[in-house]
Amino acid sequence: MSDINSHRIELGGIFEVNVTPLVDVSLTLVCILLLSSPLAFESSLTVKKSAVSTAVVEERTEEDRIELRVFSEDSVGVNETTVARRDLRETLVPLLEASATRLVVVECDDEVTHGAFVDVLDHAKIAGAMEIAVVGR
Amino acid sequence: MKPFMDNQTPLSCRINVTPIIDVAMVLVITLLITAPMIARSDIEIDLPQTQTRSVEDEARVAVTLGTDGRVAVEDQIVPASELASALHQRLSQPGNENLLVVVRADAGMPYRAVREAMSVVRTAGAKRIAFATRLRAGEER
Repeated sequence: MSDINSHRIELGGIFEVNVTPLVDVSLTLVCILLLSSPLAFESSLTVKKSAVSTAVVEERTEEDRIELRVFSEDSVGVNETTVARRDLRETLVPLLEASATRLVVVECDDEVTHGAFVDVLDHAKIAGAMEIAVVGR
Repeated sequence: MKPFMDNQTPLSCRINVTPIIDVAMVLVITLLITAPMIARSDIEIDLPQTQTRSVEDEARVAVTLGTDGRVAVEDQIVPASELASALHQRLSQPGNENLLVVVRADAGMPYRAVREAMSVVRTAGAKRIAFATRLRAGEER
C-alpha cells in the first residue's frame, strides 16, 4: 500500500480541470448561433383569416371598421381622407381609440410594392388595431 | 536529472474521443431543434421590415414568392400552377387544418403578385394567413 502511494507522489497528478470539451462545445454553439441569427429575426404579421374576401368584412357595420386603401408608395386613404404614409400612425390612433372593434380593413393597389403594403399593416398594428383584414378582389 | 518518463509509467495510446462526441451531440441536438424552423426555400428575398410581430413559435407552412417568378412551398420549389395542389396536400394532412400559411415575398415585389398568391393559398384551403417580415433591430414592440 505504501508502495502505491509513494509511486503516485513520484508521478505527480494532473490537478487541473480539463476544459477542452467545454471550450469545444462553446465554440460550436457560438458558430451555430452566428450562422442562424439572421433566421431568428424573421417574424410575421397575421391578417384576419378568410380576409381576402369582401364578404367577410361586410358582416361588420361601417361604423365598426376603419378602411385603409394604399394608393401609392406614399399615400394612404383613411376612410374618406388621404394622408401621407408617414403620417398614418398619428391619423389612426384617435380613430382606433374611438372604435369598439378596432378592426382595420386594408385594400391595396396592384402597383404598390409589397414592402409599402406591409408597412401600412405595421403602422395599423402599432396604432392599436386588434384585427387587420386584407381585402382582395 | 530526472527522466521525463520512466519505464514504469504506462503510456496512454488511445485518442481521447470525448470532445468530438460532445461536439457531435451538440450539433445533433441543435439540428433536431432547429430543423423545423429552417425548412424554407433558398430563394433569396428581401423581407419587408416591421416593428411589430404577431406570430411566433407556431406550426406553419411557408410559401415563398421569388422575384424571378419562382414559387416554393417550404423548401420545395414548385411550378406556380401547382402551388394550390402542393399546399392543399399539406393542409389536408391530419392536424393541419388550421395550419398557419406564411407568405414570404420580397419587399420590392408588386402587391399584385402577393394578392394572386393569397388567392391561391385560400383556394388551397388555408384558414390562417400571415406575411413574413423581418424585425427592425432594436425596434420591437
